[in-house]
Amino acid sequence: MPPSQLKQLKASLRDTGVIGPQQSKKQKRQNAKTGAAAQNRNQRNAALQAIRDRFNPFEIKAPSNRSKFESTTRDGGSTAAKGFRPGVTKSLGEERRRATLLEEMKGRNKVGGLVDRRFGENDPTMTPEERAAERFARESQKKMRKESMFNLEDEEDEFQLTHMGQSLTLDGKTLDDFDADGLDGDESDDEASRKRKRVPAEDGEDEDFIDYGAEGEGEDQPERKKSKAEVMKEVIAKSKFHKHERQQAKEDDDDLRDELDKELPDLFDALRGMKAPPKEKEPAQQDLADMNPERAAMMQEPEKKDAEKEYDQRLKQFTFDKRSQPTDRTKTEEEKIEEEAERLKKLEEDRVKRMRGEKVSDEEEEEDDDKDSFFAGDESEEEEDDAMAFGLPTSSQQPRADMGVEDEDDFVIDDDLVETRSNVSLSLDGSDMEEEELSDDEEPNVPEQEDEQINGMTLPTSTAETSVGISQSSSGKLAFTYPCPADHDEFLELIKNVPTQDVPTIVQRIRALHHPRLKPGNKDKLGKFAEILVEHIAYMADETEQPSFAAIENILRHIHSLAKSHAINVATAFRARLREISKERPLNLIPGDLVVLTGISTIFPTSDHFHAVSTPAHLCIARYLGQCNVTTLTDLASGAFAASLIVQYQAVSKRYMPEFINYVLNALCNLSPTQVATDIGAFPPRRTAESLRLTSSKKIASRKLQFNDVINAPTDPKAEEELKMSLVATFASLLSSSSDIWAEKSAFIEIFTPAQTVLQHLNQSFKNKVLPVKSSLDKITTHISESRLARRPLFLHDHRPLAIKSAIPKFEENFNPDKHYDPDRERAETNRLKKEYKREKKGAMRELRKDASFVAREKLREKKERDTEYEKKYKKLIAEIQSEEGRAANDYERAKRARQGKH
Amino acid sequence: MPGISELSSSKKRKSAKNGGAPSKRRAVAEDNFAETLSKIQELENQIAESRKYYNNIATLISMLNVEPSAKEPELAVAVSLCRVFTRLIAAGNFTESNRAAENEKIVVAWLKERCLEYQRALMAIMREADPSSQVTALTLAMRLVKERITHIPGADNSIWSSFFREIVEAVVEATNGQELQSEFVTKFVKEFEDVRYFTFTRLAEYANVRRSHETLDSLISILSACEDVPADNHEFETFFVPRETITKQLKSVNSHKKRAQEAWLAILRNNLSQAQRKSLLRIMVHNIEPWFSRPELLMDFLTDSYNVGGATSLLALSGLFYLIQEKNLDYPQFYTKLYSLLDADLLHSKHRSRFFRLLNTFLASTHLPVTLVASFIKRLSRLALNAPPSAIVVIVPFMYNLFKSHPTCTFMMHRTIRDKRFAAEVEKEGMDDPFDAEESDPTRTNAIESSLWEIETLQSHYHPNVAAIARIISEQFTKQAYNLEDFLDHTYQGMVESDLGTGERPLRKTPVVEYQIPKRIFTDRLLEEDGGVDSGPAVFMRGLWDF
Repeated sequence: MPPSQLKQLKASLRDTGVIGPQQSKKQKRQNAKTGAAAQNRNQRNAALQAIRDRFNPFEIKAPSNRSKFESTTRDGGSTAAKGFRPGVTKSLGEERRRATLLEEMKGRNKVGGLVDRRFGENDPTMTPEERAAERFARESQKKMRKESMFNLEDEEDEFQLTHMGQSLTLDGKTLDDFDADGLDGDESDDEASRKRKRVPAEDGEDEDFIDYGAEGEGEDQPERKKSKAEVMKEVIAKSKFHKHERQQAKEDDDDLRDELDKELPDLFDALRGMKAPPKEKEPAQQDLADMNPERAAMMQEPEKKDAEKEYDQRLKQFTFDKRSQPTDRTKTEEEKIEEEAERLKKLEEDRVKRMRGEKVSDEEEEEDDDKDSFFAGDESEEEEDDAMAFGLPTSSQQPRADMGVEDEDDFVIDDDLVETRSNVSLSLDGSDMEEEELSDDEEPNVPEQEDEQINGMTLPTSTAETSVGISQSSSGKLAFTYPCPADHDEFLELIKNVPTQDVPTIVQRIRALHHPRLKPGNKDKLGKFAEILVEHIAYMADETEQPSFAAIENILRHIHSLAKSHAINVATAFRARLREISKERPLNLIPGDLVVLTGISTIFPTSDHFHAVSTPAHLCIARYLGQCNVTTLTDLASGAFAASLIVQYQAVSKRYMPEFINYVLNALCNLSPTQVATDIGAFPPRRTAESLRLTSSKKIASRKLQFNDVINAPTDPKAEEELKMSLVATFASLLSSSSDIWAEKSAFIEIFTPAQTVLQHLNQSFKNKVLPVKSSLDKITTHISESRLARRPLFLHDHRPLAIKSAIPKFEENFNPDKHYDPDRERAETNRLKKEYKREKKGAMRELRKDASFVAREKLREKKERDTEYEKKYKKLIAEIQSEEGRAANDYERAKRARQGKH
Repeated sequence: MPGISELSSSKKRKSAKNGGAPSKRRAVAEDNFAETLSKIQELENQIAESRKYYNNIATLISMLNVEPSAKEPELAVAVSLCRVFTRLIAAGNFTESNRAAENEKIVVAWLKERCLEYQRALMAIMREADPSSQVTALTLAMRLVKERITHIPGADNSIWSSFFREIVEAVVEATNGQELQSEFVTKFVKEFEDVRYFTFTRLAEYANVRRSHETLDSLISILSACEDVPADNHEFETFFVPRETITKQLKSVNSHKKRAQEAWLAILRNNLSQAQRKSLLRIMVHNIEPWFSRPELLMDFLTDSYNVGGATSLLALSGLFYLIQEKNLDYPQFYTKLYSLLDADLLHSKHRSRFFRLLNTFLASTHLPVTLVASFIKRLSRLALNAPPSAIVVIVPFMYNLFKSHPTCTFMMHRTIRDKRFAAEVEKEGMDDPFDAEESDPTRTNAIESSLWEIETLQSHYHPNVAAIARIISEQFTKQAYNLEDFLDHTYQGMVESDLGTGERPLRKTPVVEYQIPKRIFTDRLLEEDGGVDSGPAVFMRGLWDF
């Protein structure tokens, strides 16, 4: 059992030395003399306060839930065991409110007033001296800043107060009889001590300030009060010191800058790859280095003029320089080639990743770019691809490479397109002019040489390509400017009287005229134009009897180039076409559809695991192959075309398409001169309505299939037989190339055994004489035997066995309740935020409630004050009246009595 | 009867209108028409006036214009004759009492003769005339049926069995009779339960004889139109003839069902074409079986159909399954037969999802021998190699479910060879598929020794979704089962639409564009620059095609 309260009190009083053995009188006196008594008193007061706090149980609030088990909450003891002191916090809060809320309340409904903007006036952390010092410093700074050059007073160390021509000094022998020391009472002492306490808390800059103070006083001595004069001196000294320092720093900077400036020409020379000029002025500059630059400049007036002249010259030179040359110049040709190879490799890797359906490394970026897919930087990168795609050599003779990164200018690329040489358009003078104008608009300072090169690319080669057979004269009739069409009809109107071969020229011109750099709206226009072009290739293949594939190819390449910058538009147009196919004629593809599908195979990567255009295109072809009705040879020809497209689509990714095999085998069965045995495999037999079998047994030469076969049926029986034979050959070679593609498939045997049977049958009926059939039969046979060798039982479930579900609770070693163990980071984060929010909300509500009660209390107090005042006044008045009344009554009494007395 | 009177009156109105609205161009014809009309009216009125004008009946019948052929009958005459006969029957002129005088009897007999003649004429019209005349004739004939049954006591049996039979036969055999038949079905058979009853009876008699395909077609269409099978406690309410003449038989559900069953059986036994068989099988469960009080009678038909093979077998399957399940039908070699149904056409057939639903039921039992299940799995996977994507997406989850319920089959996906010697042999020479595709008995195909290389190959299917589905067999089997119903009814169109969307929506992601623009697509452009070596993405097409 603890000792009683009284005993405890006594013990603690004794411990702290508040009560103790009585001091002798001598001791007392001595203490009083040295001032120890006062110190003792202070100490005693503090100790007493501590004891009071300790012994007042109402001051301290015990924690509401005491920690029960030390072992479970190890860290809880430190915070919870102590308890809080509600009285203190409450009074603190009250104090704060009084300072803020009450002020506000008082200031309510009051307009105007004075704002004290003196520096540091409302900053309670500053002592008045600091304030004064800072204000002074600012004042002098302001002066310094404004007229540093012509400030005459700057020369003086300090401005002196004078009286009658005599300087008034505040230190040294005092002329003034004013005794500052005597006047300063306890108060100043207090302030000084406070200041001393605060100084270390200030930033380091004030450290020297302390030094000033410390030097004068010495550590052990009792604090000496500083006079106002001293303070002022300190302030001045400090500000001077600062000023000096600032100047020093500025000079240092200037020196450094000078040095750099000196090196600049060398640097430029180095950049340009020129030899540095001999440095003549070095010694002089050396001298000047440690001088004030301004003064140095004044001293070296003539030299400076020279420098300026030189500078101007240099500047002019720079403007004529090719921009961004340096970056390219540093790379050697090998490096460039290597870089290109690297880039291509990266692109290829990305493609392979997409093929496997993995995320491409910079997928995120791409996704980011989605929103602003026409982001300039992105474009530049892609445009560079274009260049490569065109197979333009990157050798040094080609200045295009010098155009480089910053200049990434589609214009150049467009010229590359022109450079495709299939059309002659830009060899015309007029268009050259146009090009020149345009590029001049683009870059006013491009040297002559370059322009020549841009157009030079077209000039010599324009005549080289004769296979396309475009006559100069035909393109000569073309206009030079065309509006950008808004829909396909407009475009048709535009090219109404133009021969098909010249359409690419027009496309080229429209693209050049509506280059996105020329006008802000051109980007959209070109996007729309790309869509129109997609529509147009299908139109060209559909409408014309014998479509000009040179023109279609050229436009396709234009579309491809446009697709780099307008991928969405082009993809949308292709998808619209595919949708139309699937809605209107899924089982009856027209030539236009086939051309569009071919275009897809070149413009978009068909190897992607999923692609917004090529995946539906696959489906379209597969649906056609899987479900179409074969009645004529034309059907078979377009089927053969679609099947070849499939092989092309899957050349890289090697994905399997059942419909392809079914179609090809059925076609071969239907074309075979004799009926194939019915039960040959798992592919569903489709008989044609009328026989398409090869009839004659005599030799027919097969030929290469033509696109025309898809459009027009052969007229005479001989041509028909020839077509049949060529179809057989084509289908056989399709089988052989598909067997190459799918040779690695584990079910290759099952896929191609029926094909083998069919080909064997054909081979027999042709008596080994048709070469493609024979060769593809051989190939398939070898593939099958290889595949058999490679066959192993499946081993698909080699993954780690699944763990049996455990019912043991998850036990955390060293569990800490404050830590979050949620494995889901996002959830943990939200929980944390929620908790924080709740806490903050609670705190804010509590504060508001307290504020409200404070306001109410204040109002009540005010009201009470008013009431008491009123009461007082009222009472006073009453008393006054009563006394007056009393007097009057007395008078009356008196008068009455007097009257009665008379009687 | 409202139907008849309405119809006849409308006919009258029509003819009256035709008569009343003279067209200038054909004024002469119109005049003729009006003349005949007035003549008919006059003759009819005379008959009503006195018996001495009865000979007018003969005149009217001769005016019907049905003698050589009934292609263009005088409908007005037919209508007026019907009125005449109705009036006579109602007046009791057709009933002969014993006490009647001899000449009276002669008159009645003569009248009956004429009536028969008239009926024959109507039948001729129904068989040969144009559809609207056919319908009118039918209405008139049915009106006569009703009048005779109502007013001649005891005539019902003979009428139903003779006159009505003729009507039914005429309806069935009518040329271009679709409209007539549908009229017959909607206005009479479906409306009146006694008519339906007697139709069933007559049709059963009729179909007992071997008939042509076309006739059977119309028989089937009439019968299958009778969909609403009376429930066991059904009260028969709607009758064509007055209640007094209704016999007890006509009020019993069982006898109704029996008639229908007989009719159906007669049709099923007739010589059906393949298409008819299929259409019958298609409606079997919903339309035919409910009429059968003894469904086992369908057994022969179903087993016969099941043995036909192809789509017919697929269709017979559900009916057969119904019998096996409900009637305890013992079908030997059911699974062998089922296995044989898995042929190359199955996955391309439009009955695919129907079949898979059933197959799912048949293979649901966990007590099936594992070799059998393995055979089904392997066979399906073989077929999947040549299947459209919509079938593959069904097959793979279906297999997954089978693997889940028959874990022994998982050897087909994962097999470690324990036998050292065999392993070395496989390593050296590879292996053949142990599965025997030719074996028809699913328990002997050795499929359990095989592996599902086919599905593994399909993991690289051209369509990403199909490939993803095929990939489920090589992942851990954490899911309990896939709901087959979700995978069943996919089509190319649906897949294309899910890829493309129905309308144009902005793409979420910028599609990747091939980074290299090919030098050549169709032509040999700039070939010599590459040293004559063609390369690039489109080289394959250029190799095969000339543009």
